[in-house]
Amino acid sequence: MITITGLFHRVLEIPDLLIPAGRVAVIGPNGGGKTTLLRLLAGIDLPVKGEILIDGVPPRSREVGWVGEQPEREIIFHRVSDEIASPLRFRNDPCPLVDERVKAVAGELGIGGLLGRETRGLSAGEKAKVALGAALAARPDILVLDETDSNLDQESAGAVEGIIRRISCPHVLQATQRMELAARSDHILFLERGRVLHSGSPSAVFTALSGTPFSPPSMWCG
Amino acid sequence: MRVILDDVIVRRGSFQLTASGTFSKGVHLVTGPVGSGKSTLALALAGALRPVTGQIVEDGIGSRTLALPFPEYHVTGETLEREVASWGLVPAPVLEAAGLSGRGGEDVLRCSQGELKRLVLSCILAREWDLLILDEPCSSLDCAWKEAFARKLGERRKGITILLTHEDEVLPRVDEIWEIQAGRLASLGRVPEAIPRWSRPPRYIRAALDAGALPENITRKDVRDAVCRTRG
Repeated sequence: MITITGLFHRVLEIPDLLIPAGRVAVIGPNGGGKTTLLRLLAGIDLPVKGEILIDGVPPRSREVGWVGEQPEREIIFHRVSDEIASPLRFRNDPCPLVDERVKAVAGELGIGGLLGRETRGLSAGEKAKVALGAALAARPDILVLDETDSNLDQESAGAVEGIIRRISCPHVLQATQRMELAARSDHILFLERGRVLHSGSPSAVFTALSGTPFSPPSMWCG
Repeated sequence: MRVILDDVIVRRGSFQLTASGTFSKGVHLVTGPVGSGKSTLALALAGALRPVTGQIVEDGIGSRTLALPFPEYHVTGETLEREVASWGLVPAPVLEAAGLSGRGGEDVLRCSQGELKRLVLSCILAREWDLLILDEPCSSLDCAWKEAFARKLGERRKGITILLTHEDEVLPRVDEIWEIQAGRLASLGRVPEAIPRWSRPPRYIRAALDAGALPENITRKDVRDAVCRTRG
């Protein structure tokens, strides 16, 4: 469980919020505070006021995986294997363990064949998977994806979704503009102008959003 | 007013795209997955990439513009106001259309991706173009803004509008659908006849077709109406 108490930070005003474990979709208009909230949950920023606890511990004391909107701009190494290994090497894990983990993660993601490739020559979908591999290498307690699917076609977005469903990460928070994807998550947060207007199951939230541009096709015709 | 692709082959690195067909007045949707060659085609149509064989013949095209997928690559103004003015436009109404009223003095590169997209698209749509080429115009926009811009694009009656995208949730009303498959561009024909010929339609359209509904066009409203009609 993630608990947020008395949070005031930039556009965000969240007095009290409980976010259950599982796959949580964060949706809402541009500028509504999705990225601001995700950056706080990932521990990238610290709140001006208030507290966030992930299973009782602040984000910066948790292992966090992060993939942003343009994964290719976050990739820093030339070779795919080096990119996936980076979080483990940064914390000085022993080399044999790093190699073993990189192979295991690449296997889980179905990108074992890319390990020797240069990151620069990959397609957008492959880059997203490599960035996801780097985010998952250190076995994060929380995985945060900030509209990672916005520049992907539906096949690549579907592949990324498949990976996220398979992995065992207790908390996955994913901002997305794909409402069908949000409808398949465990829980939805709808943010607008910095406030959490809806927090609940996909059917409850999308019933409340019926008739808006955020209503997914599967909820059409009542 | 036409753009004719006469057995055109365009190369970018090791990638090659073959294209034939005529873009006439109206709104054209060019689809294909990421990496299929949509941006290569956009550059060739805009005259920024010369075909290695064949030719692109234009008939009656004067003004033209190309919207790049990442708007930060073609902003020139330091502030939002100056960026709008650089398009020869009065800032206030364009900023209002982009939902950025009162922010004219802000640094353009401090905008979020979505805000920058809104700004550049609002500038482009505030002017008339004989040939308007839009490469992934709606990525980074939220569902409400995607719908707003899709509505505006679908209302364009003057000139040729070519929308190249893999967008799969919100699309405008279009006149003709094109698909790039295995390095080759082909027209699927005019809408609605083209819709069932689409090999990789967005899921909401695939679901409608599977349910036996043939929408009149490809907007969410058209598809929703067709699905709800089928369900009675």
